[in-house]
Amino acid sequence: MTGDLTEAVVAAQAGDEESFRILYRSLQPGLLRYLTALVGPDAEDVASETWLQISRDLSRFTGGEFRAWAVTIARNRAMDHLRRQRRRPSLPVPVQALSDLAGDADTAERAGETIGTESALALIATLPPREAEAVLLRAVIGLDAETAGRVLGRRPGAVRTAAHRGLRRLAALLERGDAPQSSDDERVTPPRPRPTPHASRVEPADG
Amino acid sequence: MNFRRSGRSGRTVGRAEAERLLDPTGTPSATDDPLARLLAAAAGPARPGELAGEQAAVAAFRAVRAAGVPGPAATGRRRRRLTTGVVAWIAALAATATAGVAFAAVTRDHAAERAPDPAPSSATATATGSARPTPHRSGPDRRTPPRRSPSAPGGTPSAPGPIPGPGGPPGTGKVVGQCRAYLAMSPEQRVKVLTRSGFAGLVAAAGGADRVGAYCRDLVPGYPPTGSHAGAGVPPGPGGGPGRKN
Repeated sequence: MTGDLTEAVVAAQAGDEESFRILYRSLQPGLLRYLTALVGPDAEDVASETWLQISRDLSRFTGGEFRAWAVTIARNRAMDHLRRQRRRPSLPVPVQALSDLAGDADTAERAGETIGTESALALIATLPPREAEAVLLRAVIGLDAETAGRVLGRRPGAVRTAAHRGLRRLAALLERGDAPQSSDDERVTPPRPRPTPHASRVEPADG
Repeated sequence: MNFRRSGRSGRTVGRAEAERLLDPTGTPSATDDPLARLLAAAAGPARPGELAGEQAAVAAFRAVRAAGVPGPAATGRRRRRLTTGVVAWIAALAATATAGVAFAAVTRDHAAERAPDPAPSSATATATGSARPTPHRSGPDRRTPPRRSPSAPGGTPSAPGPIPGPGGPPGTGKVVGQCRAYLAMSPEQRVKVLTRSGFAGLVAAAGGADRVGAYCRDLVPGYPPTGSHAGAGVPPGPGGGPGRKN
């Protein structure tokens, strides 16, 4: 996957628009999900700012893990955004709002019964921020502990610990809503740990 | 997909297991593990809305390329200025892309207004588009960007063609551009764009976010002013604009 991206990164640096689209399509879903955990409903705005900065600074990207580079930009934009919001105290802290909205047990219940991506993310968003970030960077963005540590400015061990705690908490949440045994195992889809860069290319180009 | 499984109670996730579940290079874990399923779902394929910003991102990319790529030594300040430029660029791009016809009409109005105007007080009347003061329809002349006629008696300082809007502050040219972009947006986008710092000037000029629509419709030629037509909020797209066509 990284190999594919590297190729696209180089081409995009040379100005190739299609390659930029590839980068966008392979990174945007993960960035948006990560940003949603950080800034709640403003994630799309922050993601737009992120892509603007990626466009601008792409020429300065000198190699390494492009995902980590992009997600670092996203995180910085999110932190800026939160700082701006803090100056307007009338607005609730987004993560908090999201957690309130989600309400642990309820979400676990819904996650158990319905499906997928949305519920899973809502559940992860109920974790303490550090744990949520660690889990998202690793499981959704696909970074290893070392790289995630660089993004977060923390030691890899600390990231592992946070992610580990987060998973334990998630497991507990899943257990808690453990009433009925639903028998719809045939609905289980094959695991898809990470979207491949090309997986989303069938998506029509907006309109 | 069901994350839950009743067969396992009091389950604890070991550190090694956590690492295995999170390892991006690891093999997909057993599908019957609810936690693994949850993580897989969280990393699932793109949902439709998630890629909605693609065109905007590509437009930004294009605009940055067009603006010239900054070198590694660029300062923060310069970068910020570039960002502003890019935002303006995108606004202009959006305007031309979705309201090309309106844009053309606007350019024509610019030309008309810079010609000595016998009735300078009727700025709003101009905007209705019905009574456009185009005194000399001398063909090719209207096309070329007009040089300011030096004869304008006691004319305004030679700012590059600000359209006199209703109560418009200086620097209205930028506001007009933003208005065009704004009017070309979907209602959703409109709400969103007004929260951006780049549009703060427009909001201030309009006297509040809720008044931007009316303000812009008055300001941008080719859009009926709020009072005259019933279709408030709907960009009429003079000449049946091209709409979303890509």
